[in-house]
Amino acid sequence: MSNPKDRNDSVDDDPFVQKAGTLFNESVESLHGEARSRLNRSRQAALAELDSGAVTVSRWTQWAPAAGAAAVAVVAVVLLNGSPQIDPMVKPGAEQPVGDFELLMAADSFDMLQNLEFYSWIDIDAEFEGESATGADVG
Amino acid sequence: MSPVSADAAVIAVSSACMPNTGAGTLQREQELSRFLAEVEKRALRIAQISIRDRDEAHDLVQNAMIKLVRKYSNRGDDEWTPLFYRILQNGVRDWHRRQAVRNRVMVWTGRSKDEDGNYDPVASAPDPGGRTPDEQLQNAQAMQALEVAIRELPARQREAFMLRTFEGLDVRDTATAMGCSEGSVKTHYSRAVHSLRETLGEHWQ
Repeated sequence: MSNPKDRNDSVDDDPFVQKAGTLFNESVESLHGEARSRLNRSRQAALAELDSGAVTVSRWTQWAPAAGAAAVAVVAVVLLNGSPQIDPMVKPGAEQPVGDFELLMAADSFDMLQNLEFYSWIDIDAEFEGESATGADVG
Repeated sequence: MSPVSADAAVIAVSSACMPNTGAGTLQREQELSRFLAEVEKRALRIAQISIRDRDEAHDLVQNAMIKLVRKYSNRGDDEWTPLFYRILQNGVRDWHRRQAVRNRVMVWTGRSKDEDGNYDPVASAPDPGGRTPDEQLQNAQAMQALEVAIRELPARQREAFMLRTFEGLDVRDTATAMGCSEGSVKTHYSRAVHSLRETLGEHWQ
C-alpha cells in the first residue's frame, strides 16, 4: 500500500523535493474537519459498492450450476422431441439430434458453467490489459 | 444415504462455505477501507492542487474510490495505489478537457470569465497545526507558491512530480499510474523539479 514513509528510498533526497513533500504533508494534516468528514462518507459509499457487488456475484454463482443444468435439460428435450422440420437438411431418423445431445452433455460444457466466475475474471483482466495498452482509458 | 443424512450433508456444506465467503468479503472490505482511509486525504489535496475546485476535487476522489472498488477490488492490494491514482489522474485530465471546451464555448458566446478569480488563497490555507502563527503563515505561503508553480507545469510533469513527491510512488508505480514508460516518468519528473526550482527561486528553499 502507499505510504511515503515506508518508501523513503524511492523519494528524491534533494532538499528542494524534501521541503515540497513536507509542506504537502502539513497541508494534508491540516485538512478541515468538513473535508475529512466528506471523505469518510465517500469511502463508505465506495465500500457499499463492494457489498452490493459481492451479494450479486454470490447469488449468481449459487444458482448458476442449477440454471445451467436446467438449460441443458430443456435443450436436450427439445432436440429429442422437437419437430424434424426445424432443419430441412437433416433426414428424419438421422442421428444428428443424438449427436447434439452428446455434445451438450460433454464434461466441458459443465466445466464452463461451473467456472463462470473465472471467465468473468478473464473478461475483466482482458479489459484492463486493453486499457493498459491504450494507456488512458482507466476510469 | 437417507434423506435426513443427505439434508445434514447439504447443511454442513452450506455452513462450511457461507462463513468463508462472508469472512473473505469482510476481510477484503477491511483491507479496502484501510487503503482508502490511508490514501484519501493525500488524493484530495493532489486533486485540489490539480483543478483548484474543492467540490470537483471531492467528486473526483469519490469517483476514483468507487471505480477502484467496482473494478479492481479483486486485485492484489499492492496494485491498488497505482490503479487508484491512474483513475484519479484520468479524472483530472477529463476535467481539464471539459473545462477547455467550456471556456471555448464561453469565449464564443461572449461570456468569458476568469474562474481563477474565484480562488480564495486564505480559505485554502492549512488549518492551524500547533505551529506559531509566523511559521504557519510562512508554510502556508510557501505551499501556496508551490501550488501555483505546480499548476503552471505541463500536465504530465505535474502528474509525475505529485505522484513521486507527494504520494511517494516509485518510478514503476508512477509509470503505471500515468500509463507511460518508466523512462518517461524520469524525464517528466526531472523537468518538473528543474522548472519548479527555477520558478520558485533560491529563497523558497
